[in-house]
Parts: sequence; structure tokens; C-alpha cells
Amino acid sequence: MLSAQERAHIAQVWDLIAGHEALFGAELLRRLFTVYPSTKVYFRHLGDQPDEVQLLNHGQRMLQAVGVAVQYVDNLRAVLSPLADLHAQVLRVDPTNFPLVIQCFQVVLASHLQDEFTVEMQASWDKFLTGMAVVLTEKYR
Amino acid sequence: MLTAEEKSSVTALFGKVNVDVVGAEALGRLLVVYPWTQRFFEHFGDLSTADAVMGNPQVKAHGKKVLESFSEGLKHLDDLKGAFAKLSELHCDKLHVDPENFRLLGNVLVVVLARRFGGEFTPELQASFQKVVTGVANALAHRYH
Repeated sequence: MLSAQERAHIAQVWDLIAGHEALFGAELLRRLFTVYPSTKVYFRHLGDQPDEVQLLNHGQRMLQAVGVAVQYVDNLRAVLSPLADLHAQVLRVDPTNFPLVIQCFQVVLASHLQDEFTVEMQASWDKFLTGMAVVLTEKYR
Repeated sequence: MLTAEEKSSVTALFGKVNVDVVGAEALGRLLVVYPWTQRFFEHFGDLSTADAVMGNPQVKAHGKKVLESFSEGLKHLDDLKGAFAKLSELHCDKLHVDPENFRLLGNVLVVVLARRFGGEFTPELQASFQKVVTGVANALAHRYH
């Protein structure tokens, strides 16, 4: 599914995020909630107005999962299986929300990496994140 | 749709945009990230690699045209459907473009703006721009029949 070149681009971008999962994750959530307020319905456990600490904590969890996916990109189904179960049985996030997260993710990458965010990186990450979303929603029915 | 404050921040940021360059980049990135969109541009010549697409003079020219049109639209945020009525008919009757492509291009444009403006492209600015690109996409789809 992913070519060797695409994997290289994915790893290259991840190298810039690794170690900063909380910060990137918090910004991802901040953008998601600001741009697409309806997504907040899935995060009620963070309260009405999630504070910085909550965004950092939850953001870190989400980005750490992405990091695992980057590491095991050849075996997403196996490695994301517990998360897929969680999304299917507990979270039940409507699948139309995943493209919204992906758009915000691209904006976070673009705004931080700027000149370094080449078109190949954007293409590879869009493909990779879309693949993750497919796996996370695959057990829905 | 947009508050007065949002309109003013959108206009202010967009005023700093080089329409030629950003238009070319947005269209180029659309064609690379979502390669099926190339279906409308087979007459554009070499689109075989990312470099070929980004350097393609027809892609650049068309990207510029598209963003100039978008720019014009920004002057009519209160009546996007009216402003894009003719273009909507053109895209339906002559070009036969699936309106989903307008949403894809709008999203790519937002990513390009984020790339160019970095931290200045705050979540609030992103929210305003996403509303604008959605409005434009809907306006372009409005006359489909």
C-alpha cells in the first residue's frame, strides 16, 4: 500500500514530531475543537472547556498511538486492533469525523514544518492517516 | 456565516497572499495528494511525478486563475451563491466536475495557507478560512442540476 518512498517521508516527518507528542497533540485537539466544534461531543470527559493540561494529556495519547502506527506501518491492523475495538465498541466516533482530524493534522504539520513540509510529505501523511482511519473504523459492523 | 471580525481577519491574511504562487501550489498539491483529481487535467501534459506536477506551467496558470476567482469571491462573502452562480453552471454543464473536488481543493488551500503563515495561522483563523472554503464550495455546487 505504501511505497518505500512514502514510508521514508512518513518517518522523516515523525522524526520532527517525536518527543513533542503532547504539544502536537494538544494543538491538534485545539484546532479540531475550534474548527469543527461538533467533534467536542466525543470528548465530554475533558469537560466543557478543556484546559491546557487536559489537551496535552489527551493529545499525547493520540499522537503516541500515531507513533506506534508509524513504527508498525506494515502491520497496522494487528498493532491498532485494541484501538479499533475501543472505537467500535466504546467510542463509536462517526466515521465522517476522521477526515476532520486528518485535515487538522495536516494543518498542524504544515504550520510547524512550513518549508520542510513538501508535497510528497503531505501526500504520504494523508494516505497514511487515511489508512489508520480505515483500520480504526473497520470493526464498526 | 462569518462575523465582522472573522471577515476582517480573513481579508487581512489573504491580502498578504501571492495569488499566483499560492494558487499554483494549492492546485499542484491537490493533483499530487489526490491523484484522481488529475482526471480533469489530462490535457495538461506531464503530471507523472510530484515534481512534474508542481513545475507544470499549465497547472501554475490554472492554479492562478482559480485563486484569482476565489479572491474575487472573498469580496462577496455575504453572497457567495450569487458571486459564483455562473462558475457553478460552468462547472456543472461544461466541465462536469464532481463538487467533492471543490471541498478537497478548499482543504488543500487551507493547508497551503498554514504552511506559508505558520503560527500566524491560528486555530481561529483556520476556523474562519474553513468556513469560507466551505461556503465557496457550496456556492460552486449550488447550480448543479
